[in-house]
Amino acid sequence: MRRAVSTAYYAVFHLLVEDFVGSWPFADQRARLARMFDHKKMRDAAFTPKDEKNPTPIETALIDVRTAFRQLQEDRHRADYDLSWNIVATDVTNAITLAEDTFSKWCSIRTEDVARHHLLSMFGAKPLRL
Amino acid sequence: MYVPSAVTKQTEIDAAVNRVQQIVGPDVVRIRYEIAEDWSGQWAIFFRVVLTDDAAGRRLRDIATKVVWELARQLDFPGMGVFPYHNFRSESEQAALREPAWA
Repeated sequence: MRRAVSTAYYAVFHLLVEDFVGSWPFADQRARLARMFDHKKMRDAAFTPKDEKNPTPIETALIDVRTAFRQLQEDRHRADYDLSWNIVATDVTNAITLAEDTFSKWCSIRTEDVARHHLLSMFGAKPLRL
Repeated sequence: MYVPSAVTKQTEIDAAVNRVQQIVGPDVVRIRYEIAEDWSGQWAIFFRVVLTDDAAGRRLRDIATKVVWELARQLDFPGMGVFPYHNFRSESEQAALREPAWA
Protein backbone atom coordinates (compact mmCIF):
# COMPACT_ATOMS: atom_id res chain seq x y z
CA MET A 1 0.00 0.00 0.00
CA ARG A 2 2.88 2.36 0.78
CA ARG A 3 4.39 1.73 -2.64
CA ALA A 4 1.06 2.52 -4.32
CA VAL A 5 0.76 5.88 -2.53
CA SER A 6 4.35 6.71 -3.43
CA THR A 7 3.79 5.73 -7.06
CA ALA A 8 0.66 7.88 -7.32
CA TYR A 9 2.78 10.92 -6.42
CA TYR A 10 5.59 10.03 -8.79
CA ALA A 11 3.11 9.53 -11.64
CA VAL A 12 2.03 13.17 -11.28
CA PHE A 13 5.61 14.35 -10.69
CA HIS A 14 6.78 12.69 -13.93
CA LEU A 15 3.73 13.93 -15.84
CA LEU A 16 4.71 17.53 -15.06
CA VAL A 17 8.45 17.08 -15.49
CA GLU A 18 8.09 15.24 -18.79
CA ASP A 19 5.73 17.90 -20.05
CA PHE A 20 8.40 20.51 -19.35
CA VAL A 21 11.44 18.68 -20.68
CA GLY A 22 9.52 17.40 -23.72
CA SER A 23 9.69 20.93 -25.12
CA TRP A 24 13.47 21.10 -24.76
CA PRO A 25 14.84 20.85 -28.29
CA PHE A 26 17.89 18.72 -27.46
CA ALA A 27 16.61 15.22 -26.83
CA ASP A 28 19.93 13.98 -25.43
CA GLN A 29 19.76 16.60 -22.63
CA ARG A 30 16.18 15.95 -21.48
CA ALA A 31 17.02 13.40 -18.78
CA ARG A 32 19.60 15.77 -17.24
CA LEU A 33 17.13 18.63 -17.37
CA ALA A 34 14.48 16.47 -15.68
CA ARG A 35 16.85 15.73 -12.81
CA MET A 36 17.10 19.46 -12.08
CA PHE A 37 13.49 19.53 -10.86
CA ASP A 38 13.31 19.83 -7.09
CA HIS A 39 10.32 18.39 -5.21
CA LYS A 40 10.11 21.25 -2.72
CA LYS A 41 10.45 23.98 -5.35
CA MET A 42 7.73 22.30 -7.40
CA ARG A 43 5.47 22.18 -4.38
CA ASP A 44 6.12 25.77 -3.35
CA ALA A 45 5.67 27.33 -6.79
CA ALA A 46 3.25 30.16 -6.16
CA PHE A 47 0.16 30.83 -8.19
CA THR A 48 -2.48 33.50 -7.65
CA PRO A 49 -5.46 33.94 -9.98
CA LYS A 50 -5.97 37.38 -11.50
CA ASP A 51 -9.21 37.75 -9.54
CA GLU A 52 -8.66 35.76 -6.36
CA LYS A 53 -12.34 35.71 -5.46
CA ASN A 54 -13.45 34.71 -8.92
CA PRO A 55 -10.90 32.45 -10.65
CA THR A 56 -11.53 31.31 -14.20
CA PRO A 57 -12.19 27.59 -14.85
CA ILE A 58 -8.60 27.24 -16.12
CA GLU A 59 -7.20 28.91 -13.01
CA THR A 60 -9.42 26.72 -10.82
CA ALA A 61 -8.08 23.60 -12.55
CA LEU A 62 -4.51 24.82 -12.00
CA ILE A 63 -5.22 25.49 -8.30
CA ASP A 64 -6.61 21.94 -8.05
CA VAL A 65 -3.48 20.50 -9.70
CA ARG A 66 -1.24 22.49 -7.35
CA THR A 67 -3.21 21.46 -4.26
CA ALA A 68 -3.32 17.80 -5.29
CA PHE A 69 0.42 17.80 -6.01
CA ARG A 70 1.12 19.03 -2.50
CA GLN A 71 -1.25 16.50 -0.89
CA LEU A 72 0.23 13.63 -2.91
CA GLN A 73 3.76 14.75 -2.04
CA GLU A 74 2.99 14.83 1.69
CA ASP A 75 1.35 11.40 1.50
CA ARG A 76 4.29 10.07 -0.48
CA HIS A 77 6.69 11.32 2.15
CA ARG A 78 4.72 9.68 4.93
CA ALA A 79 4.37 6.46 2.93
CA ASP A 80 8.11 6.26 2.33
CA TYR A 81 9.45 7.48 5.68
CA ASP A 82 6.81 7.53 8.44
CA LEU A 83 6.58 4.00 9.76
CA SER A 84 4.06 5.10 12.41
CA TRP A 85 1.50 5.86 9.70
CA ASN A 86 -1.21 3.21 9.79
CA ILE A 87 -1.98 3.31 6.11
CA VAL A 88 -5.36 1.92 5.04
CA ALA A 89 -6.95 0.95 1.73
CA THR A 90 -8.86 4.26 1.62
CA ASP A 91 -5.53 6.14 1.62
CA VAL A 92 -4.47 4.18 -1.45
CA THR A 93 -7.75 4.63 -3.29
CA ASN A 94 -7.73 8.32 -2.49
CA ALA A 95 -4.15 8.80 -3.70
CA ILE A 96 -4.80 6.93 -6.96
CA THR A 97 -8.05 8.72 -7.76
CA LEU A 98 -6.49 12.07 -6.84
CA ALA A 99 -3.59 11.35 -9.20
CA GLU A 100 -6.00 10.30 -11.98
CA ASP A 101 -8.03 13.45 -11.46
CA THR A 102 -4.83 15.53 -11.57
CA PHE A 103 -3.78 13.88 -14.86
CA SER A 104 -7.09 14.74 -16.39
CA LYS A 105 -7.10 18.34 -15.13
CA TRP A 106 -3.50 18.97 -16.19
CA CYS A 107 -4.09 17.52 -19.65
CA SER A 108 -7.08 19.82 -20.10
CA ILE A 109 -5.05 22.98 -19.32
CA ARG A 110 -1.44 22.09 -20.18
CA THR A 111 -1.29 24.27 -23.30
CA GLU A 112 -2.80 27.31 -21.58
CA ASP A 113 -0.52 30.27 -20.74
CA VAL A 114 -1.13 30.06 -16.99
CA ALA A 115 -0.27 26.36 -16.94
CA ARG A 116 2.92 26.80 -18.98
CA HIS A 117 4.04 29.67 -16.79
CA HIS A 118 3.27 27.67 -13.64
CA LEU A 119 5.34 24.77 -14.93
CA LEU A 120 8.25 27.19 -15.36
CA SER A 121 7.67 28.37 -11.76
CA MET A 122 7.79 24.72 -10.64
CA PHE A 123 11.18 24.49 -12.31
CA GLY A 124 12.34 27.42 -10.18
CA ALA A 125 11.49 30.60 -12.11
CA LYS A 126 9.89 33.52 -10.31
CA PRO A 127 6.11 33.54 -10.76
CA LEU A 128 4.77 35.76 -13.53
CA ARG A 129 1.64 37.87 -13.06
CA LEU A 130 -0.30 37.46 -16.31
CA MET B 1 9.47 30.59 17.10
CA TYR B 2 6.80 31.27 14.48
CA VAL B 3 3.36 29.90 15.32
CA PRO B 4 0.56 30.22 12.75
CA SER B 5 -2.56 32.14 13.71
CA ALA B 6 -4.57 28.94 13.16
CA VAL B 7 -3.38 27.86 16.61
CA THR B 8 -5.37 30.68 18.21
CA LYS B 9 -8.41 30.16 15.98
CA GLN B 10 -9.45 26.70 17.04
CA THR B 11 -12.96 27.79 18.06
CA GLU B 12 -13.45 29.22 14.58
CA ILE B 13 -12.06 26.05 13.01
CA ASP B 14 -14.30 23.83 15.16
CA ALA B 15 -17.37 25.83 14.11
CA ALA B 16 -16.39 25.59 10.43
CA VAL B 17 -15.80 21.85 10.72
CA ASN B 18 -19.28 21.43 12.23
CA ARG B 19 -20.80 23.43 9.38
CA VAL B 20 -18.99 21.32 6.80
CA GLN B 21 -20.27 18.12 8.42
CA GLN B 22 -23.81 19.46 8.21
CA ILE B 23 -23.40 20.53 4.58
CA VAL B 24 -21.81 17.30 3.38
CA GLY B 25 -24.25 15.15 5.31
CA PRO B 26 -24.28 11.70 6.84
CA ASP B 27 -21.51 10.29 4.61
CA VAL B 28 -19.09 12.05 6.96
CA VAL B 29 -19.00 10.44 10.40
CA ARG B 30 -16.60 12.94 11.93
CA ILE B 31 -13.74 15.30 11.13
CA ARG B 32 -10.74 15.71 13.40
CA TYR B 33 -7.76 17.95 12.82
CA GLU B 34 -4.30 18.75 14.07
CA ILE B 35 -2.09 21.78 13.47
CA ALA B 36 1.51 20.70 12.99
CA GLU B 37 4.46 20.95 10.63
CA ASP B 38 4.52 18.98 7.42
CA TRP B 39 7.50 16.98 6.12
CA SER B 40 9.36 20.12 5.09
CA GLY B 41 8.74 22.01 8.34
CA GLN B 42 5.97 24.25 7.00
CA TRP B 43 2.89 24.73 9.16
CA ALA B 44 -0.13 22.77 8.12
CA ILE B 45 -3.53 21.64 9.28
CA PHE B 46 -4.07 17.91 8.91
CA PHE B 47 -7.73 16.93 8.63
CA ARG B 48 -8.67 13.35 9.45
CA VAL B 49 -12.04 12.51 7.98
CA VAL B 50 -13.91 9.34 8.93
CA LEU B 51 -16.48 8.32 6.32
CA THR B 52 -19.19 5.69 6.38
CA ASP B 53 -18.06 2.42 4.82
CA ASP B 54 -20.47 2.97 1.95
CA ALA B 55 -19.15 6.46 1.20
CA ALA B 56 -15.50 5.38 1.45
CA GLY B 57 -16.11 2.33 -0.74
CA ARG B 58 -18.39 3.73 -3.41
CA ARG B 59 -18.18 7.52 -3.51
CA LEU B 60 -14.77 8.39 -2.11
CA ARG B 61 -13.69 10.87 -4.80
CA ASP B 62 -17.00 12.74 -4.78
CA ILE B 63 -17.20 12.99 -1.00
CA ALA B 64 -13.51 13.80 -0.59
CA THR B 65 -13.78 16.60 -3.16
CA LYS B 66 -16.85 17.98 -1.42
CA VAL B 67 -15.19 17.93 2.02
CA VAL B 68 -11.98 19.54 0.72
CA TRP B 69 -13.89 22.20 -1.19
CA GLU B 70 -16.25 23.03 1.70
CA LEU B 71 -13.42 23.30 4.23
CA ALA B 72 -11.59 25.67 1.88
CA ARG B 73 -14.77 27.71 1.45
CA GLN B 74 -15.32 28.00 5.19
CA LEU B 75 -11.74 28.62 6.32
CA ASP B 76 -9.08 31.06 5.12
CA PHE B 77 -6.08 28.73 5.26
CA PRO B 78 -3.52 31.16 3.78
CA GLY B 79 -4.74 33.82 6.22
CA MET B 80 -4.25 31.36 9.09
CA GLY B 81 -0.74 30.55 7.93
CA VAL B 82 -1.35 26.87 7.23
CA PHE B 83 -1.73 24.58 4.25
CA PRO B 84 -4.52 22.00 4.52
CA TYR B 85 -3.95 18.27 4.09
CA HIS B 86 -6.80 15.77 4.14
CA ASN B 87 -6.80 12.06 4.87
CA PHE B 88 -9.80 9.78 4.81
CA ARG B 89 -10.65 6.40 6.25
CA SER B 90 -13.77 4.34 6.64
CA GLU B 91 -15.55 3.60 9.90
CA SER B 92 -14.54 -0.05 9.76
CA GLU B 93 -10.88 0.82 9.08
CA GLN B 94 -10.88 3.10 12.13
CA ALA B 95 -12.71 0.45 14.18
CA ALA B 96 -9.90 -2.00 13.40
CA LEU B 97 -7.09 0.48 14.15
CA ARG B 98 -8.73 2.36 17.05
CA GLU B 99 -6.42 5.34 16.67
CA PRO B 100 -7.23 8.04 19.24
CA ALA B 101 -6.36 10.84 16.78
CA TRP B 102 -9.21 9.67 14.55
CA ALA B 103 -11.72 8.90 17.32
